[in-house]
Amino acid sequence: MNAPGLIIIVPILAGLLLLCLPSALLRIKAWTAMAVSLFALVLAFMAIGEEKGLTWMVPFLKDYTSGDASGKLVTSLLRLTALRLDAISVWMTILAAFYAWIVSVYTLSSGKEGEPVPNFHGYVLITLGFAAGALLCDHLLFFLFCWGVLGLTLFMLIRGNNDEQAAAAKKSLIMIGASDSLMILGIGLLWIVQPSMNISGIHLGTDTPLAVGAFLCLLAGSLTKAGAFPFHTWVPDFAETGPAASSAFLPASVDKLLGIYLLARLCLGMFILNEWLVFLIILTGSVTIIAGVMMALAQHKFKKLLGYHAVSQVGYMILGIGIGTPVGIAGGLFHLFNNALYKTGLFLSAGNVEKQTGTDDIDQTGGLAAFMPFTFASSLVFALAISGVPPLNGFASKWLIYQGVIDLGSQGGVSATLWPLWLGMAVLGSALTLASFIKFLTGIFLGARREELASVKESNGFRCTPPVILALLCLASGILASGLVIPRMIMPLYQKFDFVGFWNSELISILVILSFVLGFLFYAMHKLVKIRVAESFTGGEPKKEEKPVVVGDFYLNITRAPFFEVIYRMAEKKWFDIYAWGKELVLATGKGLSILHTGLLPLYVLWAAAGLIILLLVFL
Amino acid sequence: MVNDLFYFLIFPGFLFAAAGGGILSWFDRKITARVQFRKGPPFLQPFYDIIKLLAKETLVPRNSAKIPFLYAPVFALAGATLAAVFILLPAFGITTGFRGDLIVIYYFLTIPSVSWIIGAMATGNPLAITGASREMKLILSYELAFLLILAAVIYKSGMTLNVADIIDYQKQNGPLAASLSGILLLIAFVFCIQAKLGMVPFDIAEAETEITAGMFIEYSGFTYAMVKLTRYILLLVLPSFLVILFLGGFRWNGIGILWSVLKILAVVLVLTLVRNTNPRLKLGQAMRFFFVGMNLLVIAAFVLSLYGL
Repeated sequence: MNAPGLIIIVPILAGLLLLCLPSALLRIKAWTAMAVSLFALVLAFMAIGEEKGLTWMVPFLKDYTSGDASGKLVTSLLRLTALRLDAISVWMTILAAFYAWIVSVYTLSSGKEGEPVPNFHGYVLITLGFAAGALLCDHLLFFLFCWGVLGLTLFMLIRGNNDEQAAAAKKSLIMIGASDSLMILGIGLLWIVQPSMNISGIHLGTDTPLAVGAFLCLLAGSLTKAGAFPFHTWVPDFAETGPAASSAFLPASVDKLLGIYLLARLCLGMFILNEWLVFLIILTGSVTIIAGVMMALAQHKFKKLLGYHAVSQVGYMILGIGIGTPVGIAGGLFHLFNNALYKTGLFLSAGNVEKQTGTDDIDQTGGLAAFMPFTFASSLVFALAISGVPPLNGFASKWLIYQGVIDLGSQGGVSATLWPLWLGMAVLGSALTLASFIKFLTGIFLGARREELASVKESNGFRCTPPVILALLCLASGILASGLVIPRMIMPLYQKFDFVGFWNSELISILVILSFVLGFLFYAMHKLVKIRVAESFTGGEPKKEEKPVVVGDFYLNITRAPFFEVIYRMAEKKWFDIYAWGKELVLATGKGLSILHTGLLPLYVLWAAAGLIILLLVFL
Repeated sequence: MVNDLFYFLIFPGFLFAAAGGGILSWFDRKITARVQFRKGPPFLQPFYDIIKLLAKETLVPRNSAKIPFLYAPVFALAGATLAAVFILLPAFGITTGFRGDLIVIYYFLTIPSVSWIIGAMATGNPLAITGASREMKLILSYELAFLLILAAVIYKSGMTLNVADIIDYQKQNGPLAASLSGILLLIAFVFCIQAKLGMVPFDIAEAETEITAGMFIEYSGFTYAMVKLTRYILLLVLPSFLVILFLGGFRWNGIGILWSVLKILAVVLVLTLVRNTNPRLKLGQAMRFFFVGMNLLVIAAFVLSLYGL
């Protein structure tokens, strides 16, 4: 079996094996998961060097060419498991394996502390295997199979013991499941329009209703997985109630990879979009950015806040890919990579804070920077990166996306004339992201210290290392963005382009670092800068009377502003939750049908007779 | 690299921008004094202030997060200096690899406010946190208008992000302010830089008489000197940015030098007069002013510019 095939098979088998082991062997299970995901990561890196194009998951079956029934079965199986190696699929697989490894390092101490959810490690490996399958395969049915299993492992990775988790798990499963059925419908429509089932063999124009229908069904699947408006509502619930490790693995990284991978395949290969579909995708992206971040602004639970950002950030990727110019697409994909880095890191850091303080309420924490230095330092990097502060990586990818929007403005079409609107929404989203991360940082790490948290300690090494690694990667991919990362890694994913603007990340980063070094040298010169620690000045009020500032209510003047108040109230009543609408619809239908179920036998006989008459009328 | 270091540290970066901004700060204080029938400070007063601050000891609040508190002003100063380089190099007509487009400049002009907010939050002082929270909301209000102004400038000068191209465009076609939409954009831009500089009526985050300097309440000595230097640099950079975008940039030969200096002084004069003739707005008023008023003004200007007005 070749390397790409092993990336799929080995984690799945190892994961199934781990499911069979008793929980007394938790430590062994955790280390096995770490080792297997590291093995998959190495294999995925080796796949970069492999020949690009189609390959077979089980190569030796290729020579099995007998003409009998079993031979036919083997050949069709062979066709089903064709793998497609190209820059996008290989890089996405590397990242999926990387995040599985990061999360399994994070949970290495579960031998002592217990698992986040039962059989966590086994399901992480199974998720990795099927995610690699979905990313690498070329046959739509095999793709659909992997995609379906991923919905199930998502459910298993959140389902804990309490009711809230069970409700969030059910919501996620139903939403993902519903989108899967839409995808089956989409693939069915696709099959009517053209007979090929190979992703690499489809290039369909969107000028017929059937093709547009197929595209929209598949688009719904990708948007639900990535967590974009209006299919996003499972993400915040998952993030709020699920364990941090699961949120970091699925909604923050692997589900984003899968959803955006499918979107990229749909927009850049399988379909040739007409201008209204482009408009629809760009609009979805822009609305997702604003809707997600506005909800994040109002949150008091920091994990839920991160969940809404997991929604908001996906808007940038959709916007970038929707723009469709090489620079926009590069921006969207680069943002996907960056977002996975900092969002996974944020969830893991939030998990550390929650573990050490026992709360996930911004109003109950504060001043932890001194007690949890590693978690704070990495969170600061992530928060600045996600807010797009230069020279970090979040800025570099947003810069590409903005350029894409301006590039779009110089072209023709419906969405091109509206370019200032897209640009305004994207940049406003960035400012709002900054605002909500100021709240996140202040509420947890900065701000007034609380006496009840004076005994909080930094997490253990296993839980601290992954955020630090991710923060260093955020720094590296930001600093090396314009000279190395974008031209060497991002451009080969789609095609080369020339920048519209100027951004020399290496030079600027060196100068920023130089400034910090100079600052450090000045502070170190005690003759010049005489530093003295003193009580802070609070306008002469006695210090003991001081109440900690309620950080959670920072943005009340926005959420209570005339127009926004109505929107927030509607959001609280779940007006924008497609799941709540679906539930209402199902319950109302059920109620309608239950009127017919009176339990009286004559009525049922009447229904049966009426049904028979209808059948007769139809068939005669 | 040596050239880039020179640009960053000496000209037109840190040293030049801080000195130029210091002089403009004197100009601002002198005009203010004359408006209030006072004599005003001597020419070198802004620099005496810095020297005095450097001689004083630097206090660090006991319960603060010390590293973010101490390094936030450093990052603010670095950000303002880089913005100065990106804006002033094309203004002096110097073309090098050390440049940034309008989006980069837009982001670097936000860095000072952002790092001050983080520094203020790190003190744990309720007055500082109140100030920082106000500053954040002020940023939210004016950022959209500021960006839409830049987008309109990009559109009017032929979809270019490059500052040098915008200057060239105005050299050939006349300044961008010489049209109805240009004037509206210019007005909105003046209010945006007023807010960016934290000048009355938008000094909500500092509000000496109300929250005793808010964000900067805990800064003293060396750290406050850095805050002051950053504000000097911004006082030079933001008016220069306005001149570049709307008033046709600068000319550095013969009588052009006088015109260039006068353009900058005129912009600072407008800012100073606005700040001396208005009371401080409440936070809600300022947010409404930018989010409703200024955004509508900019959108109207954008629509006018679509029709070539």
